[in-house]
Amino acid sequence: MITYYLAVQMCFIRMGRPQMYRKSRLQHANIYWLFMLFSPHMSYVFGKNKVHSQVTGFCHLINHMLVMSLPFQDTQLSGMRRDLRLALLLLLSAALESNSMSPPGKPVLLGCRSPEKETFTCWWEPGPDGGLPTTHRLYYERERLEGIHECPDYQSAGKNSCFFDKNHTSIWVDYFLTVVAFNDLGNATSDPLKMDVMEIVKPDPPENVTLLVKDIEDSPHLHVGWQRPQNTDTESGWVTIKYKLRVKQENNKKWKEYMSGTQTHFSLYSVSPGVEYSVQVRCRLDHGFWSEWSNTSHVKIPDYLQDKRPFGILVSTLCVITFIATMCILVMKRKYLKKCFLPPVPGPKITGVDFTLLKSGPTEDAINSLNQNFPLMVAWKDQMEDYLIVTENDIGLEPHPFISQKRKNRSMFSSSGFCFHSEIQSQDSRLSLNEQEKAGKRNHEIQQFVKSNKSLSGTSLSNIEQTQQCSHKQQGTIINFGITEATQQSRSHHDNTVKPLTDSGYVDIRRHEENTEEVDVKTLQYSRVKEMNSDNTLILEKENVSRPGYMDVQRQENTEGYSRVKEVEGDSMIIVQKQILSSDTYYKETGNNSIDCDLQMPRGLTGFSKVGVCAELDSGYVDTIPVTHLM
Amino acid sequence: MDRNLFAVLILVYLELSMRAGTSPVCPSGQAGCHVPSLADLFNRVIQQSSRVHAISSDLHSEFEQYFFPSKNFLGKGKCHTYGIMTPADKENAQRLGRDQLTEVILRLLGAWEDPLSQLYHSMSQDQNQDFNHYSSNKALEISDMVHELRDGVTKVAEKMKLLGVLGNYVGYTIPETLPPSSAFYFNKKGEVTSMDHLVLLYCFRRDSNKVKNYLRILKCTTLPVLDC
Repeated sequence: MITYYLAVQMCFIRMGRPQMYRKSRLQHANIYWLFMLFSPHMSYVFGKNKVHSQVTGFCHLINHMLVMSLPFQDTQLSGMRRDLRLALLLLLSAALESNSMSPPGKPVLLGCRSPEKETFTCWWEPGPDGGLPTTHRLYYERERLEGIHECPDYQSAGKNSCFFDKNHTSIWVDYFLTVVAFNDLGNATSDPLKMDVMEIVKPDPPENVTLLVKDIEDSPHLHVGWQRPQNTDTESGWVTIKYKLRVKQENNKKWKEYMSGTQTHFSLYSVSPGVEYSVQVRCRLDHGFWSEWSNTSHVKIPDYLQDKRPFGILVSTLCVITFIATMCILVMKRKYLKKCFLPPVPGPKITGVDFTLLKSGPTEDAINSLNQNFPLMVAWKDQMEDYLIVTENDIGLEPHPFISQKRKNRSMFSSSGFCFHSEIQSQDSRLSLNEQEKAGKRNHEIQQFVKSNKSLSGTSLSNIEQTQQCSHKQQGTIINFGITEATQQSRSHHDNTVKPLTDSGYVDIRRHEENTEEVDVKTLQYSRVKEMNSDNTLILEKENVSRPGYMDVQRQENTEGYSRVKEVEGDSMIIVQKQILSSDTYYKETGNNSIDCDLQMPRGLTGFSKVGVCAELDSGYVDTIPVTHLM
Repeated sequence: MDRNLFAVLILVYLELSMRAGTSPVCPSGQAGCHVPSLADLFNRVIQQSSRVHAISSDLHSEFEQYFFPSKNFLGKGKCHTYGIMTPADKENAQRLGRDQLTEVILRLLGAWEDPLSQLYHSMSQDQNQDFNHYSSNKALEISDMVHELRDGVTKVAEKMKLLGVLGNYVGYTIPETLPPSSAFYFNKKGEVTSMDHLVLLYCFRRDSNKVKNYLRILKCTTLPVLDC
């Protein structure tokens, strides 16, 4: 600093030559003077030693004034004076130099620390030394101890520190510490610091942090182990150490902390294979300060998934194969499954009748078998019900619209008869006749109808004839009908007719077996088609008409049957049609139908006796009130 | 008949009363009655003392921050337990022996029961209601806990006496040298300052730390346990 000033001053003096212009000299002088004036202040601001700076500044000021007072006119004289000034300058600078020494600045006590609660160390920061070698001393007073004592050990803990060993350390007592800086010019005392060892405990970090990857096959985890700091004494219970560790993945910046309590090991289970982990541990005594973090330990988890990968692939492949196989089986067996899970509703079945035989066509065998079987059936059953769809005939009656169009073979009866329709295709499951229908053989139906038509009245035989006629007309074949005694029976029943319904098309013929005993089981009745009427009626030969065994049982009792609803009148009235007589038939229907309910008699239709039925029109079935209709 | 019935009744009663002889206190380790072991007792007591110290530390630092934020408390105030000679480091504590150590613990705890309850009363009466209301609850808690702790340590001493590791006359000495605690801290009649409270809290914090440490040493010298 001083040499710099000297150098600048020398320059200035050199500049003070008469050759130079007065003005420029003055300018330079001004700049120099200003600089010199403010530089001590700058050093004062930035430096620590204000006294030194102040003195320097003052000296410089005197210097400048002396220099400035130099006249520059006379070179020779100024040369002499210049030398004089120079000497004076040097002297002054030397004086300045000698004035920079000062007593030391005040030191500052930084703090103390005890690593194991048995010893402790204190540090201080020395102040500016004032240019002279300074020494620092630490003095303390202690509770329950008389006098002021000096630090026992300045060396062990390094520079500017004081170490208190076990003999000099007492817990739960207050220490009052001060540091004094000494140099030749004076001393400086720091601010006192009061401390209790109990409050300054901060241990060393744990040692020997080991990392192990354990149990790689089953449940891989990272086992971290460490040791307590060497100087702590846990055996006697003097201190209780608690640990904390933190873990970081290699690419992640965030540490994750875990408390370990008093254990010196920790197992970390959430480890990913193939990743490198860094672990640090720290500890604290009782409720003191946490130590510094230990040195970082690194470990890389081996990639154990490599071994497991083929196994995983195998398992997944097997699953896929099983799944595909199951799906294939399901698809192939879908029909079976459908049958199993979505069973079709069984249709009505007549026992003893094998429709499969009939399906193939009206063979002699089939018919024979049918006829043979039939009386047996008659013997067994009490009642048999068959459903037929019957449409109205052409007399004043419109054919029911729902007659299946497939059925081309519509036979239209004459007024005296009605044709039994085989419109069944749309009602598949309801009629056992459907199966025959499907075969497309109407004659089968009619056969069936005939057979089932036990309850037909005597005139129904004519119906049968008519039916036959109908069908005959269509097909032009001679049909042999097997008419069983049922027909005989039916002959005796007038009232029991098949009643085709307009709506649903169900015709329920109930057969009563009361007549069974009257019936000769063995006899089978056959009728031959005699001739075909012009109006689609078949005329059957009735052979057994004149049989002596002919029965003329008048059925008084109720034979429940169903009547065909002819028409509906009003809200609750049904006109049921009874097909009784035809002029072409052999039989005459003579009977009155008396009805118990208040129905108006329908308009007269020859040959028809109408039976009004009081029934409800909810279903297509109409139960007839037994009428005393007798043959 | 009546006499017979009477006799039967008496017999039945006696029988029942004999049966109901199980008392809630386990006399000496009956089956099904869980008697805590010495290690358990020590652990509980040490935990309690640790909690006491933690609460007292918190209370003291709160007080200091609230009332004396400049932290220039350099007063060399003495605590009223100054008279109790307590070991100031590990060696001295170990050298003291179990009997005397237990004695010191009990004396310390006994000396603090009274001042703490007075602290509570005095804090709740103080004008500065905001802070003191919250702190006075803590003071009450501390005083209760210290009372429990003292009972606990007494039980530990009893157990140790039973096991023969402790002298039979521990805990029966009367401390004469202690000044009456009420006079020590709250000697100014009618005027109890926060400074007094602070001194008290400072002293108690220190003493609770002593108790905690002494108990640990006592445990580890008495029982060779794993976590020592």
